[in-house]
Amino acid sequence: MDYILTARSLGKRYKNFKALNDFSIHVPQGAIYGFVGKNGAGKTTFIRLVCGLQEPSVGSYAIYGTENNDPGISRCRRRMGAVVETPSIYQDMTAEENLKEQYRIIGLPSFDSIPELLRLVGLENTGKKKAKHFSLGMKQRLGIAIALAGNPDFLILDEPVNGLDPQGIIEVRELILKLNREKGITFLISSHILDELSRLATHYGFIDSGHMVKEMSAAELDAACRKCIRVQVSDVRVLSRVLDEMNLEYSILSDTMADIFARINVSQLALALADQGCDIISLDEREESLESYYVNLIGGGNRNE
Amino acid sequence: MSRLLSADFAKLRKHKFFWFCMIGMFLFGIFMAAMDYISTLQYGDYEAQLTNVLFIYTLAVSILIPAFVSLFVGTEYSDGTIRNKMIIGHTRTSIYLSNLIVCSAAGLGLCISYMIGAFAVALPLYTIDPGILPGAAILVLCSFLMSIAFTALCTITAMLCQNKALTAVINILAACCLLVISIYIMSRLRQPEMYSGYTLNTETGEVEVSEDIPNPDYLRGTEREIYQFFNDFLPTGQAVNITSQIELSQSPGLLAAYSAGIIIVSTGVGMFVFRKNDIK
Repeated sequence: MDYILTARSLGKRYKNFKALNDFSIHVPQGAIYGFVGKNGAGKTTFIRLVCGLQEPSVGSYAIYGTENNDPGISRCRRRMGAVVETPSIYQDMTAEENLKEQYRIIGLPSFDSIPELLRLVGLENTGKKKAKHFSLGMKQRLGIAIALAGNPDFLILDEPVNGLDPQGIIEVRELILKLNREKGITFLISSHILDELSRLATHYGFIDSGHMVKEMSAAELDAACRKCIRVQVSDVRVLSRVLDEMNLEYSILSDTMADIFARINVSQLALALADQGCDIISLDEREESLESYYVNLIGGGNRNE
Repeated sequence: MSRLLSADFAKLRKHKFFWFCMIGMFLFGIFMAAMDYISTLQYGDYEAQLTNVLFIYTLAVSILIPAFVSLFVGTEYSDGTIRNKMIIGHTRTSIYLSNLIVCSAAGLGLCISYMIGAFAVALPLYTIDPGILPGAAILVLCSFLMSIAFTALCTITAMLCQNKALTAVINILAACCLLVISIYIMSRLRQPEMYSGYTLNTETGEVEVSEDIPNPDYLRGTEREIYQFFNDFLPTGQAVNITSQIELSQSPGLLAAYSAGIIIVSTGVGMFVFRKNDIK
């Protein structure tokens, strides 16, 4: 698999506080990578390092395979865009003027593609309205437009839906999906709004206390969070035999416990087990959300950061 | 860096405070030249000299440059736009130098704006002695270097402090303090070495003549050298000196050398620290 961004044993220390500690990440090309962690977990610190705003204390990261201490990293950064925390826009300029300024910074010879970019983010009708008078959603979309100015193929968005109203959240989500599908842009999206992230992400990375706890694909997460019936029986071998006869998908968890991934007729199952001398001790329906998966993974919210 | 310069100059062209200062300096130049001319008409004991009013801008830019640099560079932090430059791979050295060059150009613009205003009044009204022009041109060049040195000092604070309001407070306060210090230094250096003696007609009709009395406040030896050094070295000291046409300064060349030193050292130190700075 081709990775756009990787990190190895990355660390960042602010005086006595370790914001990142032995951190690693693998962002595959073409993915929408959901970077999940609570406030203060180290998400923004990592993004600042990748964007070149800060230097790591230890370890290294690579963008498009180029290490951070390689002089060629500046050239690699031209292929990426980012919105870190708040959108970086000149408040006293219009959307068009902001984009012109970014085009000059990048060194693009022509402003011809600005109207198309404004249309893409839905800001084509803002005219002479200055950015300071924009709604939060409009500012966020302008920030994304600026990040898109150099036609990047990797975009980093730090908490892109923070503070947005439901309409704004939908607009930003649709824009991200559109850019990923139509332009093949890889996204790294940090968020702690897990429900929103679960509608977008193709891959996940869970960070806690500056350390990557787990990385997985959306398919793996779906499997882990799949709706199932957890059944506890006196003899799991009998259960296994009965479920095979019924042609149902299941997974054995212990000598007495199994998860059944199908809708079952409980009476039929109970009778079939009783015929072979196996008792049902308990039976409950389970569905793990991304949120509960995350809480189980991180271990609740009582850790010291 | 040409891309950054192009972007920063485009931003300067739209900067309202810059144009407000430019117009203000132009009107200030007209006002000072006109007032000087009117006072010569009223009192008539001397001829209006262009050099009396030509260099007053050095004092004005000592306050305007800190304010402008703080706002211009501070906006990069308050709006977060400095991140856009770093994210797409511009080096910190380029970002620092680009801001310094644009702010220096703006500072020179303010000086020139004043001069255009002053010349607009002086050319038709004043008698300009061509003999003074070479000396005046040298002082103008010194003032330009002083303006860039002052900008370089303000740029350090603006680039290293990520709080726009705090930057403005530090820069303007520092400029005011330096200006007061420089005026104090100049007043100490101006102290006469001796108070001249007096002549007194006594009641008996005799004329009593006292000898000159030494001034206890007159600076001597090392102390005078230290005062003289700061008078020449500090950009505000140079501003005060240039306004009074280097009355107490050693030479324009020395002022220019000090300014060049300030520009090189402050830019070197500023860039070194900025490269290590964590940007939020």
